[in-house]
Amino acid sequence: MELVAYESRSSVNDTQLITRVVAGDAAAERELYETYVDRIYRLAFRLAGEDELARDFTQATFIRAFEKIGSFRGDSSLSTWLHSIGVSVALNGLRKTKRQRSREAPMEEGLTVGSTRREAEPDLKERMARAIDSLADKYRTVFVMHDVEGYTHEEISGTLNIPIGTSKSHLFQARSKLRLALADFAPEWVS
Amino acid sequence: MTEDNFEEFLKKAAQSYNAPPARTPREDMWNAIQAERAAGPRVVYGGGSPVRESSVRRFGPKIWLGAAAAAVLLLATGVGVGRWSASSSNPGSVAVVNPTKAGPAPTSTGVTPSVVAPDAGGAVATAKPVDGGREATSPGAPSGSGRNPQTGLRNGRGPQVVVADGKGSPGPNRDYSNNSTSASAYQLTAVRHLSEAEALLTSFRTRSATDQQMDAQLGKWARDLLSNTRLLLDSPVANDPQRRPLLEDLELVLVQIVQLSPGSTPQDREMIEKTLQHDHVMTRLRTAIPAGSQRGS
Repeated sequence: MELVAYESRSSVNDTQLITRVVAGDAAAERELYETYVDRIYRLAFRLAGEDELARDFTQATFIRAFEKIGSFRGDSSLSTWLHSIGVSVALNGLRKTKRQRSREAPMEEGLTVGSTRREAEPDLKERMARAIDSLADKYRTVFVMHDVEGYTHEEISGTLNIPIGTSKSHLFQARSKLRLALADFAPEWVS
Repeated sequence: MTEDNFEEFLKKAAQSYNAPPARTPREDMWNAIQAERAAGPRVVYGGGSPVRESSVRRFGPKIWLGAAAAAVLLLATGVGVGRWSASSSNPGSVAVVNPTKAGPAPTSTGVTPSVVAPDAGGAVATAKPVDGGREATSPGAPSGSGRNPQTGLRNGRGPQVVVADGKGSPGPNRDYSNNSTSASAYQLTAVRHLSEAEALLTSFRTRSATDQQMDAQLGKWARDLLSNTRLLLDSPVANDPQRRPLLEDLELVLVQIVQLSPGSTPQDREMIEKTLQHDHVMTRLRTAIPAGSQRGS
């Protein structure tokens, strides 16, 4: 499992890698990037839902990480630190994008009325996607990280800088809301 | 059981939520990162997409508006500071008239400058060393009423502090007119008049005692100045608490000069000289005339 591979990186390796990056070692930067880019990109894509935004968020995450790695104190693992940057970048970027698109929406709506897939008969995937999208950011983030990407509550706690109990509570809330939203499909999980 | 089933169902169904591509575009993103870092630290989310373009459009005008507002504010502050500093840095020269050492202010060489009397047909008064330290102690010396015989000043006054501003007004209590133009005209007239009076008195003090023709020219000149002095005393210029006594003392001296006849005795001239010394007319005149103004014109 990919997750296990990342977790197996020892803190000694991370420390050495960080030291080299801080010293300006370009190869170390590339190594750090190659080590974590898949997870960061996947999480960004899960949150953004678009390749272009996911790329932007991933790039911004690494740019910021390279800028600030000198101030990394090692209170958490390098992976957690990188993910916290990634989630912060993604959520802030999504808020900006959402505001921007809400301003542009009226004109676009006039051009696309009657042609959206929302008009079609919603199936489970679509209902699921809409239900997850409608969750508050804090619930959606925890749900995506835990139930979709397989992060542990410890990892989520470190990444989002929230207590483990809060992470569990958010996951419970997210699931409850999704259960209500997907009540029509209850026979599928009851059976 | 149902709860566990739901979790399993949810995890399975949610895998399709925003499913990322199987292959991460590593090289593309790495190249973009390198390019971005080479270009600078600025990071704009949504690069290459309509989001970035619209972000630039959205924030661009705001930035320029902010910059323009800052520039206007800076300009206004600069103008304000400039005006303030101009008014505060030109409060006028401050001269403290020490009555015990008053007298004609000598030049660095101890010689008063030559002065051309405008009505003297180009006659130039010869320059002589002037004793500026004499004190008028004669009780009979003509002076204004109510003066302190020790200081030569009007009773109740200490050493005079005359503040002359850039326009030649020597007092802080100017209230000539609400009209600034008319106040400026009065100021200009007063300064020119005092400058002429100073030139006349300097010429008088440095003239030859035997030059009868010079006495006649000075008398004519003094008569003109006398009428102007009276006019100024009746004008708003005289409202100034420092300028009015100066004009009154000047009037007295001018009357004495006008009354000098060609056959007047040296005692008559000495009387005028004592008046000048006693009332410190020359010093007060020079103090009232702002530095840099054209004298004797």
